[in-house]
Amino acid sequence: MRFSAFLSVAPAAILFGTFFAVPLVVLIATSFTSWSGRSLEIVGFENYQRMITDPVFAKALGNTLFYLAIGVFVQVPLGVGVGIVLALKLRGWKTFRTLLFIPFVISGAAYALIFSMFYNPRSGLLNSILASIRISGRDWLFDSETARWAVAGTFAFILGFVMIVIMAEIASIPRELYEAARVDGASELQQQFLITLPLLRNAIGTCVLIRVLADIGMFDLVFILTAGGPDDATVSLALYAYRAYLQGDWGYANAVGTVIIGVGAILIILVRRLFRIGDR
Amino acid sequence: MTASATSTGATSKQAPLPARRDALGSARVTTRRRHLSDRRGALASTVLYVVLIVATVLSLLPAFWVMVSSFKTAAQINTGEGFWPTPLTVQGYIDAFTQIHLQEYIFNSLLYAIGGTIGALVVAFLAAYPLARFDFRGKAFLNVTFALALAVPLVGLATPVFFIVRELGLFDSKIGLVILYAALQFPFTFVVLRSFLQSIPPELEEAAMMDGAGYFTILGRVVLPLSRPAIATVSVVAFVQIWNEFFFANLLTVSAENQSVQLALAAFKSQFGFNITGALAGATIVMLVPIILFLVLQRQVIEGLTAGAVKS
Repeated sequence: MRFSAFLSVAPAAILFGTFFAVPLVVLIATSFTSWSGRSLEIVGFENYQRMITDPVFAKALGNTLFYLAIGVFVQVPLGVGVGIVLALKLRGWKTFRTLLFIPFVISGAAYALIFSMFYNPRSGLLNSILASIRISGRDWLFDSETARWAVAGTFAFILGFVMIVIMAEIASIPRELYEAARVDGASELQQQFLITLPLLRNAIGTCVLIRVLADIGMFDLVFILTAGGPDDATVSLALYAYRAYLQGDWGYANAVGTVIIGVGAILIILVRRLFRIGDR
Repeated sequence: MTASATSTGATSKQAPLPARRDALGSARVTTRRRHLSDRRGALASTVLYVVLIVATVLSLLPAFWVMVSSFKTAAQINTGEGFWPTPLTVQGYIDAFTQIHLQEYIFNSLLYAIGGTIGALVVAFLAAYPLARFDFRGKAFLNVTFALALAVPLVGLATPVFFIVRELGLFDSKIGLVILYAALQFPFTFVVLRSFLQSIPPELEEAAMMDGAGYFTILGRVVLPLSRPAIATVSVVAFVQIWNEFFFANLLTVSAENQSVQLALAAFKSQFGFNITGALAGATIVMLVPIILFLVLQRQVIEGLTAGAVKS
């Protein structure tokens, strides 16, 4: 029995070791080297120093945090709002749930294609809508003033995931709480703010965590939509690391990779503390 | 927290209250007081519907517009005139298969998604069972370590993963991507399966053990059949995630014969001038795969995602 159980965990341990543990160790270790995949030389903190002084890195970090902020402060609250509204089970709520969930299962690459058309200055839908209300459009993705916002606009309204997590959590709130509040004379709105919202703390925290994790590694959309341009106005940390990798500058790419994972870990710990995830 | 994960399914299956169903059909005053949205007031529910409609339009309009545009002629797409196709054409769909050869990319993506999902399932199931059932040294460590992988932004690991895949001789090969996707989907699959296995009572396994059944017999004959709902749930999620994956597919393949549909989509974008109708039709087909899967298996997808979110 003992041997069988061991045998049964072995494939997982091997797969996990090969594609998570070893890469993580290699990543951190080689971030202190100059590495091209073949020759390797220890350089200490040189990669990190270079990062601090590179203005493109500063842009990449700033943009990544910007995308993350849109995810956390726009997408999550909108998703929570829609989730709360749908949990009221108005007529047709299932149809809305289905429609609102669909964007979540569309891939980043498809999204990039969709929005490169949507924002197209000549034939895009956005500018024709704006023209119909007499607002003159722009080349949203390739105007350095609007590019970041245009990229954020592609994912800010993908509410499906937050919505279903919130709905699942609301479903687990005992109905008696609302009954009691109603007896005490609380209005519908008061019930939502005083009962539902506080009890959603854990679920909202979870959504924020997942957003942080996804946005800290933002790549597909930026890479396909703008390749980081114009003038690095949309470049993300992951794309910045990828560029270094393409140039064979692997040690530096891995220093950036270490920063991505490090900043991610710090934010995750912060969010867990803030929302007191785990304790009820 | 675990309860909430399973309760989504229960809510969606819940039949509307009989009283409410009456109220939906008739406007008679007697049923009025039973109708929830009536009590809420017409103004309030109008506001809520407006909110829902605005949210739906904001999140769905661009994708819907592109799907509609896949039936337009290249000339109409390029001028951007009109929302609906005039005239309507399926030339894009013909081009997607005859010129862009979408079927070859679809074949690859199906292979990656099915192979990766099965790989992750087998490995995660084998590991989840002992880690859910037995006590042994290192158990807590393995449980935490496997789950922690969910908290790592994987794009950070690009270069080391590329290096390892290359050193293993798996670069730019179909089997290499299948193995990588099995590995990437493993942590999520493991976490969901393990917590499901913890929730089923061990009596059946104990009885089988009394009858002299060995470990793998119990696993295959007793535990596996019981786990079907959880397996269905994680399979859909893993399939859709692999189908939609771009980063590692881009990192680990170069030849066209190994590329996935997502890489094909990214390539369409740069080839707009060359065949825009084919590109839009292709994009529509690629999007419709997970959308249809979701529509058919809505309950599994939603359960799987909430379970994963809540448990990690």
